[in-house]
Amino acid sequence: MNLLDIRNLSIKLLTTNKPILAVDRVSLTIKEGEVRGLVGESGSGKSLLAQAIMGVLDDRWQVDADRFHWRGKDLMRLSDEERKVIISKDVAMIFQEPMACLDPTTTIGAQLEEAVSSEQLSGYFWEKRRQRQHEAIKLLHKVGIKNHDICIKSYPHQLTEALCQRVMIAMALARKPLLLIADEPTAAMESTNQGQIFRLLASLNQLKNMSILLISHDLENVTHWTNTITVMYSGQFVEAGTTEHIFKQPYHPYTRALVDSSPKANMNIPIKSRLMTLPGSIPILQHLPIGCRLGPRCPKAQQACVKAPKVKNYHGHQVSCHYSLKEDY
Amino acid sequence: MARDKIYQEEDFPSPLIQLWHNFRQSPVVMIGFGCFIFLSILAVFSPIISPYSPIENHLDKLLLPPAWDNKGDISFLLGTDNLGRDMLSRLMQGTTLTFGLSFIVVIISLIVGVIIGSLSALTTGLKSSFLNHFLDLILSIPSLLLAIVIVAILGPGLSNTLWAIVMVLIPQFIHITRNAVEEEFKKDYVLASRLDGANSFRILSYSIFPNIIEKLIGQATLAQSAAILDIATLGFLGLGAPIPMPEWGAMLANGIDLFYIAPWTVYLPGLAILFSVVATNLLGEGIRHALKLRKEN
Amino acid sequence: MLLLTILSFSLSFLFPGEQIINISGQIHANPEHIELIALEYAKHESLFSQYFIYLSHLFNGNWGISMGSQLPVIVEVINHLPPTIELSMVALFIAMLIGISMGSQLPVIVEVINHLPPTIELSMVALFIAMLIGIPIGFIAAINHRKKSDNVILSFAMIGYSIPIFWLGLLAILIFSILLGWLPSAGQMSLLYEIKQVTGLQFIDILLSDSPYKWQAFQNASSHILLPACVIALAPATIFIRLARTSMLNVLDTLYIKAAMAKGLTFKQMIYRHAIRNAMVGVIRDVGLQFANLVTLAMVTEVIFSWPGIGNWLIQSIYQRDYTAIQGGLLALSCFIFIVHILTDFIYATLNPLARETRNGTR
Repeated sequence: MNLLDIRNLSIKLLTTNKPILAVDRVSLTIKEGEVRGLVGESGSGKSLLAQAIMGVLDDRWQVDADRFHWRGKDLMRLSDEERKVIISKDVAMIFQEPMACLDPTTTIGAQLEEAVSSEQLSGYFWEKRRQRQHEAIKLLHKVGIKNHDICIKSYPHQLTEALCQRVMIAMALARKPLLLIADEPTAAMESTNQGQIFRLLASLNQLKNMSILLISHDLENVTHWTNTITVMYSGQFVEAGTTEHIFKQPYHPYTRALVDSSPKANMNIPIKSRLMTLPGSIPILQHLPIGCRLGPRCPKAQQACVKAPKVKNYHGHQVSCHYSLKEDY
Repeated sequence: MARDKIYQEEDFPSPLIQLWHNFRQSPVVMIGFGCFIFLSILAVFSPIISPYSPIENHLDKLLLPPAWDNKGDISFLLGTDNLGRDMLSRLMQGTTLTFGLSFIVVIISLIVGVIIGSLSALTTGLKSSFLNHFLDLILSIPSLLLAIVIVAILGPGLSNTLWAIVMVLIPQFIHITRNAVEEEFKKDYVLASRLDGANSFRILSYSIFPNIIEKLIGQATLAQSAAILDIATLGFLGLGAPIPMPEWGAMLANGIDLFYIAPWTVYLPGLAILFSVVATNLLGEGIRHALKLRKEN
Repeated sequence: MLLLTILSFSLSFLFPGEQIINISGQIHANPEHIELIALEYAKHESLFSQYFIYLSHLFNGNWGISMGSQLPVIVEVINHLPPTIELSMVALFIAMLIGISMGSQLPVIVEVINHLPPTIELSMVALFIAMLIGIPIGFIAAINHRKKSDNVILSFAMIGYSIPIFWLGLLAILIFSILLGWLPSAGQMSLLYEIKQVTGLQFIDILLSDSPYKWQAFQNASSHILLPACVIALAPATIFIRLARTSMLNVLDTLYIKAAMAKGLTFKQMIYRHAIRNAMVGVIRDVGLQFANLVTLAMVTEVIFSWPGIGNWLIQSIYQRDYTAIQGGLLALSCFIFIVHILTDFIYATLNPLARETRNGTR
């Protein structure tokens, strides 16, 4: 069953001049136990989307969608607070720079204990406190931190980034979520630590059947660890499908360019030739092109691209392009 | 028709014009700016505009209340004090003294402080550490206390007040300039000009000054409001302008004895001080806010 | 500290009049007497040794004789600096310990701390009031950012910052003492109550004495201190409002607050547990700087309210051209400010675990 079902979500930034459509009609579905990747360059609105799902955007952003279902319940009709209550019970999020996400003046132990929800505890005050501490230690063990004593007493700036990220994951696990949104969890780490974090996430997915929405701009990591991928460009939905399909047969010119630009896919190109790139760069918010936002850069763009393309579905592989590359395969 | 531009040509105004646009957006700040201009014009032209001379005694009209009171006289719009001197002209002349003096004080200490500060930011080693400690020492003594001591050394009088407050404000400007210049020195564009072969003086004048000048102007308005209050306080304590001169603080000290029978001699100069300080502060706040907005955009 | 003594030593040269007379205070001495004093102060030798002799005189408690009253300056300082630190006596003892370990002028610090009471009392109460009012209002302004209450609080803060302190004091006396008659307008305590001076700190003296009117004396002393303290507290309170607002705005913008909201904490819980602590860290660091400003305001207010503190004494001695007293007063006041500075640095290090790691003293 679909855990999360979003159709045509748009996020508008209300500025003084006129509203800017930062995210333009993006659809996303996540099933139970699925690891989905959300890929796009910086500026493509992936973090905005994640924060909109969690409900942590401030008043400047206006979110609306055609459909926003969580486990079958329609969330668009509820008010912000009610939505937040339902979502925060089952969805957790970890962020990009883990050390900056922890309060620098409180110990890790105190912050972990805060994350433990009081519904899982029982008894009087002192019993609850001891249970909370016990839970915190158990959580640390779950993410692979064996010597919890040092960890609990230290402050965030005394730990490494990878350790902080594990602590963040532990805090996220405290509520036993059904969906974990990982917003570029490894961007601030070296590759050895990255591997550790991804392995941890994969093991959590397999052992607890927890779905993961992995947001990243690093295509190689994403293709290794995910089941399905959604690609976004400049706030618009580009392509979605299984990882294998997207990697081997990308339908959208942008996905094709992404895949081609990663060295792993280009084992066969002749030596000393140029790597494939799209000219130009992602448009800034003040100058968004009308219609399909890839238009100015796309090698296949023509007159029809001035109007935003509709989403076409080919056996679970969705593309939003007037001139998709399906015929090439 | 063939070569239509897809995007509208966006014209990027210069940073100064951007600053002015941001500044203009808040109506309260524009009011403060207008008041500031009004006060400056008054300070320059008051000897010509004011109806009576500030030290002329009208002995037949002592302690007249302001014109809106029953016993007041319209020819003395804000009443007279105990020696028959017209309050309105005294207040206007006081603008020259208190407000104008504070402006001059700030300009002098700005120039001197910036020169010393930037020079000291260039030196390193023993000289700089000595200057650092000396500056910390001077800054730890509150400004009014230091000004009072300097006036005690030099004796009361208007020019001594000026020098006292200049000497008190200079360390603040040195401190700000030093911090700003050192901060800019660490940035990469200074490194780039150094690699180009520029010597320190050139880096200072071409690269760094235009970038710190706004911070300095913000600090200058703060210093001016502090200077107005300090000049008025020194005048109130009797350490500033000599008696007949219509400095606002001295006028207030004069009026204390007559507090109950003639309260306008006390609250009018106080209102004048409040007005000028609020105008300066609004101006300063507006500049700082506009700077922040410009940085965000 | 060393530099402060150099400064006050050089003052004796800068003040008009004979240097010997300035440094010792004997104005009625005849020529032989002057020779004797000159020997004592080593006038014929180099400046350096003069300075060292001056320091040794300071250490021995010989601060010269006040020109006005012809009493030893030390006695004057003892008489004029008495009142009571209500809330921070213990804190001052801690500061004293730190003061000893940092500088070398041991006796000076001890003596000065024992003799600064009324000003300390007034400025501490004013600081307390300013912090109590200013910081929560600043936090509230930051939480309601971009709403109307934020603008209202900011404009009020701006006006409060611009009012000249002496005018405010006079208006306060007019309204509260004369028109309304609620609060007394001068002095430290009504003459009706005879409280034995034990420490010089008024409130502690009241609590220590065994007079039958203890409670009324306490009430009387508090009503006397209330008006001047509130007048002094206004300008620093507005600065605290601005500081607290900026600090809280910075904290609310950070990533860990957003992460804590995503963790599932409610807004209120998050403010109380995380935001306030981090915002206070940013505010406390600047409290020490504001204290110098506050003491200056206290000096002027003491003149208006006839409060027997060191500021009043200093200004009277300036009117009377009493140079030795000015030197002593300047030194005492600056030492006091310096000590409170160190104390707030200490508190800042306690609150902020990050700052404990760094070892540099001044910035």
